[in-house]
Amino acid sequence: MIEVKNIKKEFGKHLVLKDVSVKVEDGQVVVILGPSGSGKTTLLRCINFLENADSGRLTIGDTEVDLKRAGKKEILNIRRKTAFVFQNYNLFANKTAIENVMEGLVTARRVPKAKAREQAEEALNWVGLSDRYDYYPAQLSGGQQQRVGIARAFVLDPEVILFDEPTSALDPELVGETLDIIKRVAEKGITMIVVTHEMSFAQDVADKVIFMDGGVVVEEGTPEAIFSNPREERTRQFLSRIISLDPNYSI
Amino acid sequence: MNFNLDHFKESLIYGLIYLPNTLRLVFIPLVIGLSLGTLIALVRVYKVPVIGSLLALFVTVYQGVPIVVALMIYNLIFMLKFNDLAAFLHLKSEVSDVNNIWVGIFALSLTSVCSISEAIRGALLSIDKGQNEAGDSVGLTKVQTIVRIIIPQMIPVAIPMLINNVVGLIKASSVVMAIGIVEIVAGATIPSSRTYAFFEGYAAAAMIYWAFTAVVEGLAQKLKKYTGKFRRNLYD
Amino acid sequence: MGKLFAWDRFYENIPKILPYLSVTFSIVVYATVFGVLLGMVIVLVQIKKIPGLSQLVKVYVSFMRGTPMLVQLMLVYYGIPALLDPVLGTKINREWGAVNFAYVTFILNQGAFLSAIFYSAITSIPYGQTEAGLSAGLTEFQTFYRIVLPQMVKTALPPFGSDLVGLFQNSSLVFLIGVTDIMGRAKTIGTATKHVLEAYVLVVIIYIVISLSVRLVFFRLNNKMNYGKEEIG
Repeated sequence: MIEVKNIKKEFGKHLVLKDVSVKVEDGQVVVILGPSGSGKTTLLRCINFLENADSGRLTIGDTEVDLKRAGKKEILNIRRKTAFVFQNYNLFANKTAIENVMEGLVTARRVPKAKAREQAEEALNWVGLSDRYDYYPAQLSGGQQQRVGIARAFVLDPEVILFDEPTSALDPELVGETLDIIKRVAEKGITMIVVTHEMSFAQDVADKVIFMDGGVVVEEGTPEAIFSNPREERTRQFLSRIISLDPNYSI
Repeated sequence: MNFNLDHFKESLIYGLIYLPNTLRLVFIPLVIGLSLGTLIALVRVYKVPVIGSLLALFVTVYQGVPIVVALMIYNLIFMLKFNDLAAFLHLKSEVSDVNNIWVGIFALSLTSVCSISEAIRGALLSIDKGQNEAGDSVGLTKVQTIVRIIIPQMIPVAIPMLINNVVGLIKASSVVMAIGIVEIVAGATIPSSRTYAFFEGYAAAAMIYWAFTAVVEGLAQKLKKYTGKFRRNLYD
Repeated sequence: MGKLFAWDRFYENIPKILPYLSVTFSIVVYATVFGVLLGMVIVLVQIKKIPGLSQLVKVYVSFMRGTPMLVQLMLVYYGIPALLDPVLGTKINREWGAVNFAYVTFILNQGAFLSAIFYSAITSIPYGQTEAGLSAGLTEFQTFYRIVLPQMVKTALPPFGSDLVGLFQNSSLVFLIGVTDIMGRAKTIGTATKHVLEAYVLVVIIYIVISLSVRLVFFRLNNKMNYGKEEIG
């Protein structure tokens, strides 16, 4: 179980997260929706300590930390229980696809190299990149890079994978294949928190949808509840705007 | 036109005899510059409190000091104070026993630490912040991320600037003749004080330096290809 | 021998040394003004690929960048009289003051260094900018002057600033051929009074002030010419 309680975050004078609490059960897929600037990416980054929250508590499994006061050891411990998939992939530019996937295993988790290589190959095969082991990121397309990014996260067998708009930097024709891979990750029963604009993905895969706006959780519930019967006016407005823009989406 | 080829050749030989001194004046400061310079750049880029700002101030101010002026000052202090220092440390050596090439190496080292730290800082700043975050996200420690991810990516970016620094260092090493150290320039003009063929002497020195810097730049091209392999793009 | 450093000697040196700053500045001004002109001529030769001449300037630039300033200074100091006097029947050897050799050296040196800065600035502007200018009905000259040049200046500004800082510092070498700039003056004070450290320290402070001012000016200029781009760092 992952629980974030009362998280607050300010950038300068701008309050990005105003007292947000989120709870995710084991094996659940939670999709966070919301307009840009709603704080959804910041929430995700705070969970992985890529940003330092101003206050709040985080529980992952049996570990509980203070988001503001966590020490180096605690942060490293949390990061080793979580994995992050970035919007712009952030593959290590000086490492090949397979080295990218092995890095966390070998360096952070002290898995022996041969074993790590085996696991990394399996992960890359699984995302359909069995022929790209020794390619550098600069030699891969965006969709391929993001699949390496997913393999890199998945191979660590984390308690939760955090996806930060994993398809929004991709060319439209590559979005589908990447979403398919993420769906397959979900089917494995891994706990996931996904920030995305892909409504059909949310509807198909999510166990729970959270709608954020202006730094607060406006509404949360099952995809059916949120999409067909939103209670809040702000949710309704957001959904109608998105749906009118998204030709793939139909209820 | 007065140009005596025999004097030129003689000067060329004399200059080459003292080439090893120039090599020492370049190589030692280069090694010191690379190690301390990288350290300073990291301290500044990762914003270590207090030390980072102090080093920034030092580098900015020291880069305003011409090497020849710094050299004259260090040499002066060395000449005046070495005997006191040796006595204080109970060393049985006097200023006349010690080769002041070390003063030259000291001055060149300080300059090279500053300029190399700036080159490396620029290269570090050019690396996408996402690389640090990616390291964090797979559970690497800060040091692991720096050593395994950031520094390997910084090297190919820094190489062109570092080559400029090496070439600059080679050229700057010539100023030590101002405190009487014999290297390429002073060496090449040893025959000139007998023959008065100073023009030929300096022309010989120039040729040696020109060849030296050309070799360095040639090697740099090869090095760049080797370290930058991950930057190669299929679509180039 | 007395104290190594005394503040009263330091203060006494200020009025003795500061006037010689004019020598330092005159070298820098000559080298910059004529260096810019020479640099532009070199770039023109390179871009127009004038046969023979463009190979020649390539060797020239490479020589200037690959040899120490000090050696160049000495080459000019001994070379101009040695090469010209016998041919032209002039008496440069006796008639030229040392500072003239400094002017010549620094102009030749700056011409080469500035040409490299200008050349990479020009070639960094995408050809699309020229095409856009021409397609909007501007003449070739208008396109260069109104579109390419302003962008080029922006690119060339930071390296030009560092070059200027380097030029001030390199000018301190001229005392080695007997020019009395601030450093030369500091040395003569040392010879006369046997106390030179105070003079050297003053010279260091002057150079630091100059270097920081030049950097500040170029930093401001650079920020003024952002053309809507965010500053990095």
